[in-house]
Amino acid sequence: MGTSSRHPPLEGVFFPTGSSRRAPARLVSRAPVADEADGPEDWVLDLLADDGSVAASAPLSALVVDPQLGSTARRMTFPDGTMFETNDHSGVEALVGRDRWSILHGLEQFHPRLIAITIAALVGMFLVYRFALEYLVVAAIALTPGPVIEQLDRGTMQTLDFTVTDPTELTPARQDEVRAVFANVVAALPADQAERHSFELLFRDAPRMGPNAFALPGGTIVFTDQFVETFPDADMIAGVMGHEIGHVIDQHGLQQFYRALGLYFLITMLAGETGPLMEDVLLEGNALLSLSYSRRHEREADEFGLRLAHAAGYDPFALRAFFVELSTLTGDRPEFLSTHPSSSDRADEIERFIEDELGLR
Amino acid sequence: MAFAPGTEQTFDFRGRAGEWFGIWIVNLLLSIVTFGIYSAWAKVRRLKYFYNNSYMDGRNFDYHATGWQILKGRLIFIAGYVVFSLIVSLAPIVGLILLIGLVALIPWLLVRAMMFNARMTSFSNVRFNFVGTYGRSFLVFILLPFVLYLAFGLLGGLAFFITVELFPEGGLLVGMVALVFAPVALAIYDRVIKGFSINNHMLGNAGFTLDISLRPFLMAQIAALAWVIFVGGIGIIVTGFSVDAFVRAIEGLERGETSGFGVIALFYFLIFFAIIPAAFIYQALIRNAVYNHTSLKGGHRFRSDISWSTYCWIAVSNFVIAVCTLGLMLPWAQIRMMKYLSDHTHVTPGSSMDDFIGDQVAAGNAIGDAYGDFEAVDIGLPV
Repeated sequence: MGTSSRHPPLEGVFFPTGSSRRAPARLVSRAPVADEADGPEDWVLDLLADDGSVAASAPLSALVVDPQLGSTARRMTFPDGTMFETNDHSGVEALVGRDRWSILHGLEQFHPRLIAITIAALVGMFLVYRFALEYLVVAAIALTPGPVIEQLDRGTMQTLDFTVTDPTELTPARQDEVRAVFANVVAALPADQAERHSFELLFRDAPRMGPNAFALPGGTIVFTDQFVETFPDADMIAGVMGHEIGHVIDQHGLQQFYRALGLYFLITMLAGETGPLMEDVLLEGNALLSLSYSRRHEREADEFGLRLAHAAGYDPFALRAFFVELSTLTGDRPEFLSTHPSSSDRADEIERFIEDELGLR
Repeated sequence: MAFAPGTEQTFDFRGRAGEWFGIWIVNLLLSIVTFGIYSAWAKVRRLKYFYNNSYMDGRNFDYHATGWQILKGRLIFIAGYVVFSLIVSLAPIVGLILLIGLVALIPWLLVRAMMFNARMTSFSNVRFNFVGTYGRSFLVFILLPFVLYLAFGLLGGLAFFITVELFPEGGLLVGMVALVFAPVALAIYDRVIKGFSINNHMLGNAGFTLDISLRPFLMAQIAALAWVIFVGGIGIIVTGFSVDAFVRAIEGLERGETSGFGVIALFYFLIFFAIIPAAFIYQALIRNAVYNHTSLKGGHRFRSDISWSTYCWIAVSNFVIAVCTLGLMLPWAQIRMMKYLSDHTHVTPGSSMDDFIGDQVAAGNAIGDAYGDFEAVDIGLPV
């Protein structure tokens, strides 16, 4: 005792243990009594209330000092729970010295260095988006139980039946013809792929959707009555079936879904709270966008479908004819507006693929 | 610091965009470099920054969780999910039983999350606490939604039956039932959730009380619905939007047609003006109503007077600005929103704010917190 304090006193307020009672206080430091000393640097700190009484006292090493965060008030908690709060940032730093949190605080300062950090963060975000997302999607698909995906299919069909589709009006005989094509195409699948998925063919009357066919992630494949009526040719049906089965085998639907979800989690995890509107847009808007396949997925499915239809004994050129017919039916539009390659481009690509890969002419 | 009981005080948010940007971008970079691990510490720094800068009567809030606690909770959550999905894949029957167990677990996780968040938060050196029970949580989060859903289904079925049997070309009645019942059910549900959250929160040993009727919730639902119908209706009449054309346009897109592009743009336009402001109307009205009917033991009363149009404007312009700057203005946007909310949140103290006493609760465990992170549980704290 009696040693003069080496550090100037810190002015602030203190709160007794677990109480909101706030009172002005000064934190003064003194050198420890020799036999109490843990080390030469371990000052003893006395918290003095306005009336001069000692509210708390402890060696510096026993205090919990919160790391500096921006210009927010600095807090120090005594072992008995008494809390001292001060805005004297340089005083605290002089007392407790610098640690790794101080380095962090230094990086966070508004300083030209922050420009480099910003650029690095932007580059990092781009790399995460470009590469890490892919792996996250693969992992998520691997972790999705099969029964859950099949349940997703059922849910989607219920929604569709409630909103746009009606029971089929095709004759049983016509349905059986298409089913026979379906059985042939599925039978041509390699054994390992056939094992992993169970495919189901459904017919629906959907005047609003027109001639259309689509696949759901669990293996449900839907042809509209309008499709079967507009394109009755078995070779064309086989080609389109192969295409839809390709979407299922390569899990394009799930990929799109998890991409959207993964992007949402990445952004919220990296950026913290994004605010009320951003959250909705990221989650729901993305999910909506994910309903359509990307152009790469369409090309992959085209190629898969051509191989499969060919292996099942159908004419692969029929898929090309299908797209030609489709483009005369609907008229083309610029490719950049669409998630789908335009029909005439697709027809050309299909022709190239058949000639180069399947060796047919 | 001058203070007299009975005089209304306004929350004061002292965060600064420039300062927060530095913390935020360092959080971002370190999170990327550490493959997401640092994001647990980043969360602590983010919450601490916002809490520390929120002042009432010259006293601020604080957040006490450590990065380790957050990380541990997240790892436990991920491990649990991996194990669960492996079991479902390998043994679907066991998985089904587990799924039922999971339903029973959810109320517990939610209570833990709210407890963790409350206990890790303090105001003027006094910790918050959450004292909701598992039983109440089960009623609120599992049983009530189930009952409301069931009632909705029964009513809908009844309306459908009447329509089919009595007015074969009807369909109107089904829509009417949905239109009337859904807002009522949502109003009831929202009120129960808010009550469960607020009435079980405490600051030290002083409890919060929400004393509110169903009326403000119904009114907010009606106001939001009226906006959708009125603005959407005008939009549809003025623009001649038709659902059939929209469905055809979507189908056209699939085939690569351009003709339907206008209709699709119109659809998003209508969503933007008819749906989004409605959501903000609801949120703003409910926030005001809930604060205005909340009190804290000691005679402290709360008041919120945010305007839905300003709230909507800030949210929409924040969004546009953040997107246009690749997210770099997000910290500024967050500070701006926080400042607006603080400026419109008030307390009329009934007694000295020196008189709160903490219970010195033990730290909650972290599993619930990670769950809260995923579900974004609203813990209903002031500000």
